[in-house]
Amino acid sequence: MLITPFLVGVPFGILARETGLDALQTSGMSVIMFAGASQFVALELFRSGATPVVVIATTLLINLRHLLMAASMRPHFGDRPLPTRLGLAYLLTDEAFAMGSSWYRRGGRGLAYYLTFAASMWVLWNLGTIVGVLAGPAVPDPRVVGLDFAITATFIAIVVLGIRGRRDVVIALVAAVAAGLLRGMGLAVVAVVVAGALAPLVAHLFLRGEEPTPGLPTEVPG
Amino acid sequence: MTEWIAIVGSGLATYLTRSLPLLVTLRPGARLRGYLDDLPIAVIAALAGAGVLAPEQRLAVGPEIAAAAVVILVARWRRNLLLAVLAGIAVVALVRALA
Repeated sequence: MLITPFLVGVPFGILARETGLDALQTSGMSVIMFAGASQFVALELFRSGATPVVVIATTLLINLRHLLMAASMRPHFGDRPLPTRLGLAYLLTDEAFAMGSSWYRRGGRGLAYYLTFAASMWVLWNLGTIVGVLAGPAVPDPRVVGLDFAITATFIAIVVLGIRGRRDVVIALVAAVAAGLLRGMGLAVVAVVVAGALAPLVAHLFLRGEEPTPGLPTEVPG
Repeated sequence: MTEWIAIVGSGLATYLTRSLPLLVTLRPGARLRGYLDDLPIAVIAALAGAGVLAPEQRLAVGPEIAAAAVVILVARWRRNLLLAVLAGIAVVALVRALA
């Protein structure tokens, strides 16, 4: 899991240079955006000559899913001072959210786990980008050894290990199928945010009256 | 220069989505708390489903589906994240090598 941002960062660095960005822009992108999927999409847009407005709007749409993640992390970050919370927000990637939120679901407390993981992701993503910029296309394609599947596999395993009962199974299945269909129908930019936001509501309709599995830690702010 | 405008603007857009919910001081009621509690599994499953069912942005029956099944089985069986992920990667690599 920790090695994947590095392994994805390298091809990003290579591809960015091939797209025509210079070394500073490529590295700057990984530092300023720090958002894997939308960085790749931005490259594709650059390649097709899109205007900055189109790139920014697309990035915003793709990353709307982070609103959901931040909202669900909010209670766990507690009453920390605003600057701390703003720093935590900068590091909030899919992977940090997946690991952090499952840590909290298992009853974890505090920021150390999330921070350690999220900051490592940052270092490795930027390191990978720089290596890609310097190494160029000499690096072998991670697809050959199936490494492009590592992140997806990690998400699947996190979901399976986090299932607390029937309700979670329904939510996960609805969200996964809906996101897959939306993305497959060409709505990739909003697939995850739409599926993620609606799945709990759909589950709520079908499992009316069924409360979240009792006896597990409920999140209390602060 | 246009690249820099796009990069910095996209960075701000990304940061906005990550920070906005953290700016508010939330005292959620029971309903909202239940919803927020359900969100992690929904969002992570959505990320996973998109990667399995439409790995190249369109619906496809590829090695990812078999690999996903293996990840689910190994994760349930051994309760071990790393082992499940490695098994999934191995299936993808194997199917691609045979294809």
